[in-house]
Amino acid sequence: MALNQTEYPAVQETLVTQTLANGLRVLLVPRPAYHQSYALFAVDYGGIDVRYQPAGATEMVEDPEGIAHFLEHKLFEKEDHDAFDLFGQTGASANAFTGATSTAYLFSTSTQLTENLTTLLDFVQAPYFSDQTVAKERGIIGQEIQMYQDDPGWLLYYGILGNLYPNHPVARDVTGTIASIAQITPERLYQAYRTFYQPINMTLTLVGNFDPERVLAHIADNQAAKTFAPATPIVRGVGFDGDLSTILPYRAADLPVIRPKSAIGIKGQIDAQGDLEGTKYKLAIEVLLEMIFGDSSPLYQKWYDDGLVDDSFAADYIAGRTFNYATITGDADDPSAFSDAVASVIARGADQPALTEARFQRILQAALGKYYMSLNSLEQTANQLSSQSFNALNAFEVVETLKSLTLDDVKRVAASFFDVDAVSVFHVRPEAQA
Amino acid sequence: MRIQLASGVFLNVLSTNQFKTTRVAIHFIAPARAQDFAARTLLTSVLETSSAKYPTQSDLSAALETMFGASFGIGVAKTGAVHRVTATLNLVADKLAQVPLLAQGFDLLHEVLLEPKLVGNQFDPEVFDREQKNLAAYLGSMDEDRQLQASLATQRLYFQGNDAQATPSFGTLRQLTAVTQARLMAVYQDMLSHDQIEIVVLGDVTEEQVVPLAKQLGFAPRPELAFALIYRQPDVPVRQETASAHVNQAKLNLAYTTPSDLYGRQFYANVVANELFGGSPLSLLFTNVREKASLAYYASSMFEPFRQFSMVQTGIDAVNRDQVQQLIADQLAKVAAGAFSADLLAHIKEGLLNARQAAYDSPQFLARQELLHALVPTHQPGYAAYAAAITAVTKQEVMAAAAAMKLQAVYFLDEQEAN
Repeated sequence: MALNQTEYPAVQETLVTQTLANGLRVLLVPRPAYHQSYALFAVDYGGIDVRYQPAGATEMVEDPEGIAHFLEHKLFEKEDHDAFDLFGQTGASANAFTGATSTAYLFSTSTQLTENLTTLLDFVQAPYFSDQTVAKERGIIGQEIQMYQDDPGWLLYYGILGNLYPNHPVARDVTGTIASIAQITPERLYQAYRTFYQPINMTLTLVGNFDPERVLAHIADNQAAKTFAPATPIVRGVGFDGDLSTILPYRAADLPVIRPKSAIGIKGQIDAQGDLEGTKYKLAIEVLLEMIFGDSSPLYQKWYDDGLVDDSFAADYIAGRTFNYATITGDADDPSAFSDAVASVIARGADQPALTEARFQRILQAALGKYYMSLNSLEQTANQLSSQSFNALNAFEVVETLKSLTLDDVKRVAASFFDVDAVSVFHVRPEAQA
Repeated sequence: MRIQLASGVFLNVLSTNQFKTTRVAIHFIAPARAQDFAARTLLTSVLETSSAKYPTQSDLSAALETMFGASFGIGVAKTGAVHRVTATLNLVADKLAQVPLLAQGFDLLHEVLLEPKLVGNQFDPEVFDREQKNLAAYLGSMDEDRQLQASLATQRLYFQGNDAQATPSFGTLRQLTAVTQARLMAVYQDMLSHDQIEIVVLGDVTEEQVVPLAKQLGFAPRPELAFALIYRQPDVPVRQETASAHVNQAKLNLAYTTPSDLYGRQFYANVVANELFGGSPLSLLFTNVREKASLAYYASSMFEPFRQFSMVQTGIDAVNRDQVQQLIADQLAKVAAGAFSADLLAHIKEGLLNARQAAYDSPQFLARQELLHALVPTHQPGYAAYAAAITAVTKQEVMAAAAAMKLQAVYFLDEQEAN
């Protein structure tokens, strides 16, 4: 079989892509100088996917929050064994994670790659949920939920998301709540599984030291030997939320913290897709935030010198299926002064002294370097490829889009994204000592 | 390859084209003195934020951006009985950037480490005041991370009586607020002129290329240090401490004296015993405390050979405290009694070997191996030596290692009643 192989000289990488007969996408990046291989089996299904039309049904259902994460935990456990142990027996290291829009199962190994690939494909594609195992899992996940409740950074983050998205599940943590996970049953898990864990909705990504031809044949054989239900289109009930009218402009929480914390959120109003135009839009916002709020910005330096912010100050942009937003967060002695200062910058729209050509070129150069550096890690390479896999551009092509950005692109997104009506503020204050 | 540039100043070069980056680390190494920790930490902040050439953070950040987004930081750490100040610079490889970034990188390191911004003969007072205040705020808010709070408190309890070990590598808030300008300058001068210096360079580079760059840093010769790396804990009765805070999840930590040699048979037996006890997802702690009994969100153990120290950390419901502590003791007893299958031991070893192979894909790990090799003559950085030593560990050696672990401290962070 001839490999569908593309070279990317700018990043010195080779990418092999193949969509199998059952619809599963396979992405392979050989790295002969490395010692191990990293495999990631991802589903386009995450924490926000709590409203959908089950496969074969015509009505929408509403699942309890936290179901995608619960499913991820439960998939490892089978009737008579735990998939973790199968990886462990070869010395491979396995894990899984659930995000807002995807779930991924992964392992890394330096030996017995094909055996571990079989384990990965087989355990994810053979669900087993029972009343007993579901009940036990509530204890473990309940502990996880409680641990996050003790993390003020986490509470700040979900506080500002709750302000921006009162009616969208992205504001709810992927683990759910003690109350919501109590409603999860084996039936609900099977229903979600059948709907989303279809090969057409999944990607297998491998990066590392292997022979792509041999590995691809192994994966194709594994899939050909299994029977899958006919593919059904996935109908999701959670749509894009760019609605400014629902934003809660301000909330605060009193918590057992020592330092006050401040967060400013900006809700994205444009549903940027994974195509060239959408990718350009998202990259331009990232560059914009770096130019205005980054380490080398005159604004940051002034605020730091004035004691308004410290080095916990951070600006991030997150874009996913049905949402995108920026957060500007940090510890601050005076959280109101912090958020007022940030809000006044946003109010200027595209009229920002920091948006100069020289500064733009420098930030772009740095973004390029950071991207090259990220490719040192097999894990990061695979994660980037996988998360881009349902989009028109792959992760190695995104770098070309980055290079093509101009200062005008950045000014254009500043004019629309920096909208005072899209802004909200959340403060965490130390609770009064008893 | 370790090259002596001057007395007490060494360069370690690891040539590899595996990565898209070049990594440069400069380590300043001194015997651990608790009274210096806070000053050495404040020094890293002052140097990082202000030098003669880059007087503000913005200036330094702009220079790093121009160098293809190079990342740079200075930190502190302890390795056994020595304290380290380490400056690390990560650069895109010259071949990929098509610019001589490595030479630019050494220039930047020289400017930041050796040419601080001075006013008269002291550090810029504005910078000093601000960084002292920021660092104090940071140290003051560390307890917001409850797992870290519990870990540091456990070590304070266990190492009570030895300040250099009981104090974290970054010092305490009280020490920090006592640091004066004069003291900071004295600590800086002492570090520059007396610390042993180990420079590690890793990437697609040659010795011929790096030696002149490293020499240009201009570190003067200094007396060679003869320091003991290993800290040995005196035998004491088990210490207990309970603290409480507004937490939803309680923390129970246990600390053990763990006799070990450095990279000899006893060391490798300890590594395997720790992995079996609580170091991996296959371990007895993980499978029996977290998974089977569903009693903890996390339950793991770690082993530090330089301090002859092991620690178990768990996050639990406070009501289960006694049950969890008993279960932990049971798991250690099982390892000591050999109550584990040959299969499990084999899988534990395979896991260690696999993880070790994987580590050779990390520039950070490889650079650390160079440092360890420079500090400990018996250390062998290669995979083959590690694999042979782990494979040779017998069941009896694992049992003996677990039996030699002695519980000396129990720390409990309890859930405080809501007001």
